[in-house]
Amino acid sequence: MTTATDPRRTLRHRDVALIWARHNLFRSRLDALLTLVLGAIGLYLTFRFLRFVFINARWEIIGVNLKLLLVGRWPVAHLLRIAVSITVLAFWGGIFVGLIRARQVRRGFADLDLIGWQRIGDLSRRFGLLIATMLLVLALATTVGPWLVALGLFIAVLLGRMVGFKLGSVPLSTPLVRLSTLVLVITPFVVFLYLVDAVPFAEWEGFLFNVTAAGAGIILCFPLGILLALGRRSKLPLLRSLSVAYIEFVRGAPLYVLLLMANVSLEFFVPPWIAPSKPLRAVVTFTLFTAAYVAEIVRGGLQSVPHGQEEAAKALGLSPYRQITRIVLPQALRNVIPAQIGQFISLFKDTTLAGLALGILDLLTAGQAVTQQDAYRGQGLIIESLLFVAFLFWVGSFTMSRESQRLERKLGVGVR
Amino acid sequence: MSESMETVFADATQAVGDAIIELEDVDKYFGSFQALKGIDMKVGRREVVVVIGPSGGGKSTLIRCINRLEKHDKGHVVVDGIELSDDVRNIQEIRRETGMVFQSFNLFPHLSVIDNVTLAPRLVRRMPKNEADDLGMQMLERVKIPEQARKYPGQLSGGQQQRVAIARALAMQPKVMLFDEPTSALDPEMIKEVLEVMVELAQGGMTMIVVSHEMGFARAVADRVVFMADGQIVEVGTPEHFFTNPREDRTKLFLSQIL
Repeated sequence: MTTATDPRRTLRHRDVALIWARHNLFRSRLDALLTLVLGAIGLYLTFRFLRFVFINARWEIIGVNLKLLLVGRWPVAHLLRIAVSITVLAFWGGIFVGLIRARQVRRGFADLDLIGWQRIGDLSRRFGLLIATMLLVLALATTVGPWLVALGLFIAVLLGRMVGFKLGSVPLSTPLVRLSTLVLVITPFVVFLYLVDAVPFAEWEGFLFNVTAAGAGIILCFPLGILLALGRRSKLPLLRSLSVAYIEFVRGAPLYVLLLMANVSLEFFVPPWIAPSKPLRAVVTFTLFTAAYVAEIVRGGLQSVPHGQEEAAKALGLSPYRQITRIVLPQALRNVIPAQIGQFISLFKDTTLAGLALGILDLLTAGQAVTQQDAYRGQGLIIESLLFVAFLFWVGSFTMSRESQRLERKLGVGVR
Repeated sequence: MSESMETVFADATQAVGDAIIELEDVDKYFGSFQALKGIDMKVGRREVVVVIGPSGGGKSTLIRCINRLEKHDKGHVVVDGIELSDDVRNIQEIRRETGMVFQSFNLFPHLSVIDNVTLAPRLVRRMPKNEADDLGMQMLERVKIPEQARKYPGQLSGGQQQRVAIARALAMQPKVMLFDEPTSALDPEMIKEVLEVMVELAQGGMTMIVVSHEMGFARAVADRVVFMADGQIVEVGTPEHFFTNPREDRTKLFLSQIL
């Protein structure tokens, strides 16, 4: 708020606020009482929380153990690979943002009216939390390395966005389009191989494990879930009953139990030298578990598409495969974005179960372990540690949730 | 074509010219309900047939059996020399040759208008994108809405949507067009714009089977009118015959109700 505004206008603002308060907070005596009591409790709790976070908490336990929490016992010699990888991924993500933007401009429904400060405001609402979290983590960092990486990330995203926008704006020849699509698709796998080359996936720990396990789970469970949903609607009795049996079995078992089973019972069936590593078992379990839920969500989406759509596709002579992939599925999936993202958020948070069930040093287990270090044992620092863990998950989940709402609005433009 | 024709067709199997669609003794059941009872019918090339009758009488089922949206239980359906069988290739080939327009439009809401129109030519006829786009624009011009090409179906009025649906069917360059009550879901002021397009199509020589209660349309362009009730063809004749001198009591009763 600027101070040099017209006094009448500020007055009016204050009046509006007063009217609003009278209307919503002090309408009757009971309302007034409730407002005062709840307000007092709220203020007191906020005060206690803020006092803890900013005055009493001893965040140095996080600062000192930052590397352990984020990447576990990843060898220091190979930390550079992580820095390179996330920079490449930032560039990669930027390209997608640029491509989408170019597409919107081409189709004529980009919010081009957002200019200057408005656009910066929009961007900071979207990415402010992520940037703030990054700065927070950086503030806890004890070396200069993370700052350099953060700077690299920032530049990489911006560059990627520019390249993506360029790619999306100029017409490219078909082979070039195919080539760049291929490059975009395989980039995450190349990054993964680059990291695995230094440290096998079996030894991935900390938040790195949570993020990669969730990411891999999401990517893998999605196609499987779609296949299961289609299987459940299939006209072939065997395929249908197999799909139903699978979905109902998996949905009936607690994830924690399945993770424990993945830990112990695999040895009964296959010799130990084939049995994959613990993180891999976790990813497989997450995939199989979430696929069943995704299948039910997608089935709901399939049912929401009117039958006439399939008939119109048939009448045009589209093959059964294309009736599904070009007409029914795109609409079905769009209708269930919120439920879908909700499931992925669950998966992201559920990766903490793997730490305990399989004995992986993930973010949560690491967060608990650091409080047992000699310097911090018996000092009740578990609260700081758990707050930090919860905060990281919250930032991730909240960002996913908000981006999904945005995606929903974008895809809904002019469609209904 | 029909103006000078005074013939009253005794049954539906006497097509004008050589037949492009032949139905022979076609039965169709939904569970124990018999929707079609021994239908015999022929439609000639460039002929326009309007099918009328009370609801539940099998009109829609009849035309849906022609492109296998419904599978007939007995008899033969032959389209342009290809007999409908369980052979998927035959079904696909017949669907490529027949365009269909639905009562509820059934446009693809996730695709723009031009993509709705060009989807089938690109996927089924493997036409390159720019060629398909040219074709699509031609079709949209034919239904008089080229300016809407970049919009999405949800942004158009009902009449515009139905015209896009017609353009979409025409883009496959079908030999036969099937219309299933194309104006029944439209507001009165939009019916006209759709009928105009259909009249032009008929005058351009398209073979059409139209399930409709638009008597003005039937009078203007139909070569024959078929009256169906209870899964059977009750009466067939030229529009003049139908509206001035129907023979069957059922027909008279029905006409007195809707006119």
